[in-house]
Amino acid sequence: MKLKETLLNPIFKGNPITVLVLGICSSLAVTVTLKGALVMALSVIVVCGISSFILSLLRNTIPGRVRIIVQLVVVAMMVILVDQILKSFEATYAIDKQLSVYIGLIITNCIVMGRIEAFALGNKPWPSFLDGIANGAGYGLILLIVAFFRELFGSGTLFGVTILDPKWYTPNNLVILPPFALILLGCIVWVQRSIQKDLQEDK
Amino acid sequence: MNTNNNIYTVIYTALIVVVVAALLAFVSQSLKAKQEANEKAETISQMLTAARICTKDSLDLLSNAQKLDLYAREIEKAFVIDTVGNIVDTLSIAREKLDVYSPKELKRQNYNIKGGANATGAPAIPVFVFKNGRTVVPIYGAGLWGPIWGYISFEADNVTIGGAYFDHESETAGLGAKIKDDPSFQARFIGESADFSAKNVFDIVKGGAPKEADGTSVKDNKIDAISGATMTSQGLDAAIDTWLAAYAKYFQANAPKKHHCGNCKHHHNETEPETQTEE
Repeated sequence: MKLKETLLNPIFKGNPITVLVLGICSSLAVTVTLKGALVMALSVIVVCGISSFILSLLRNTIPGRVRIIVQLVVVAMMVILVDQILKSFEATYAIDKQLSVYIGLIITNCIVMGRIEAFALGNKPWPSFLDGIANGAGYGLILLIVAFFRELFGSGTLFGVTILDPKWYTPNNLVILPPFALILLGCIVWVQRSIQKDLQEDK
Repeated sequence: MNTNNNIYTVIYTALIVVVVAALLAFVSQSLKAKQEANEKAETISQMLTAARICTKDSLDLLSNAQKLDLYAREIEKAFVIDTVGNIVDTLSIAREKLDVYSPKELKRQNYNIKGGANATGAPAIPVFVFKNGRTVVPIYGAGLWGPIWGYISFEADNVTIGGAYFDHESETAGLGAKIKDDPSFQARFIGESADFSAKNVFDIVKGGAPKEADGTSVKDNKIDAISGATMTSQGLDAAIDTWLAAYAKYFQANAPKKHHCGNCKHHHNETEPETQTEE
C-alpha cells in the first residue's frame, strides 16, 4: 500500500513539474519533438531511479557535512553514463546530438537532487528507487503532453510522421518557441487544479 | 560509527571519487569504438550535406552503414594538401576503409594552421572531391561557448560555393545553434563565392550584406549573420577565413578545373586502385 502510494503519487497528485514546480527549464527546452521528450524522460527516469537507489544504499555511511557533494558525484556519474550510452548506439546517437547540452544538464534538474535529499536519504533502497522512477515518470508524462501539442501544431507531425498535411495546415511558429511551452504548462496546471481541488490556495 | 569525523569524511570522499572515476574511465574506454563509428558516420553525412547530395534530414534516416555506402558511391577522390596547395597524402575512399577527418583531427590541424605553441607540425588539410563535381573542405574554429566546425563545398569552378553544413558542441539553442539547426542559414552560402585573393576570404556580415533589388543577397563573398548570435557568427566567420585562406593556393591553382595539375595526377596513379577515373 505504501509502495503503491510512493509509485503513484508523483505521477499526478504530487507531480514534480505541476505541483512541486521542479524541472521547468528542461521541460521548455526539450519538448519541441515527441522523440526528444521521450528520450529525455527515459534518461531522467533512469538517472533519478538509480541515483536514488545508490544514495539510499550509502545513506548511513555518508558524512553529513559533505552529503551534497557525494550526491553530486553520484548523479554526475549517472548522467555521464547515460550520455556515453546514448552516444554509443546508432539509434540514439542523433537524439543525443540533438539533446547534447540538455543531457548534461540533467544534473542540474532539481527533481533528481530534490528527491534524493527529500526521500532517498531517509528511506530504504527499494522505496527510494521507486520514488526516483515515479518522479522521473511524472516529469516525463508532462514532457510528453507538452511535446504532443508542440510537435503536432508546431510541425504538423507526431514522432516525425506527418499528421496535419502541410497542403492545408501552416505550422505555427509560436508553438515551436519555448514561451509557448510555458503557456501550455500553465494550462496543464490549471486543468490539474480544477480536478484536484485541495491544491487550490485560499483566496 | 561517527560519520562526522574529519578523517572519515576525507577518506570517504576520496574513495567515492576514485571509484566513480575508475568506473567512468572503464565505460568510456569500452564504448569508444562504437562512439567513434557513430561520429564518423555523422562526419560523412555532414560532408554529403555540404556537397548537396542529400539533405541532412534524409541522411539522418539512414543507418551508419548506408551513410558509408552512399559516401563510397559518391566520392571521387580524397587527399591531403599543405597550405601551398601541394598534395602530400591520399585518403582511402575504399568502402571498407573510408578515411575522413574527425572534429578532433580538425582541431589539431586548426592549431597547425594558426601556428604557435599548440602546433604539432605543418598543416595537412583534407580535400574531398565528389562525383557531382563539388569539392568539400572542412572548417574549424571557436564559437561562443565551444568549438564549431563544418564543411563547405565548392562548385567545379572552385570559387562558387555549392553548399555548407556546420556543427557545434555547445552553442546556445535557438541562437548560435542555428548555424547547425537552421537550413535557411546554411542555404545563404549557396551561390556565393570565396575571394581567395583577399585577406577576408568570406564575410558573415552583421547588419546586412549587400542586397539585390529583389531582396536576395548579392552573389559576392558576403552573407548576413544570424541575428541574436553575433559571437557565434563572428567565430564562424573567423573559422571560415582561417581555413579557406589555408586552401586558397589549392583552389587558385585549380580554377578553372579543366587542366588538372600534373602533380596530383601522378600521385593518384601511384596510390589509388582502379576505382579512380581520371578526367
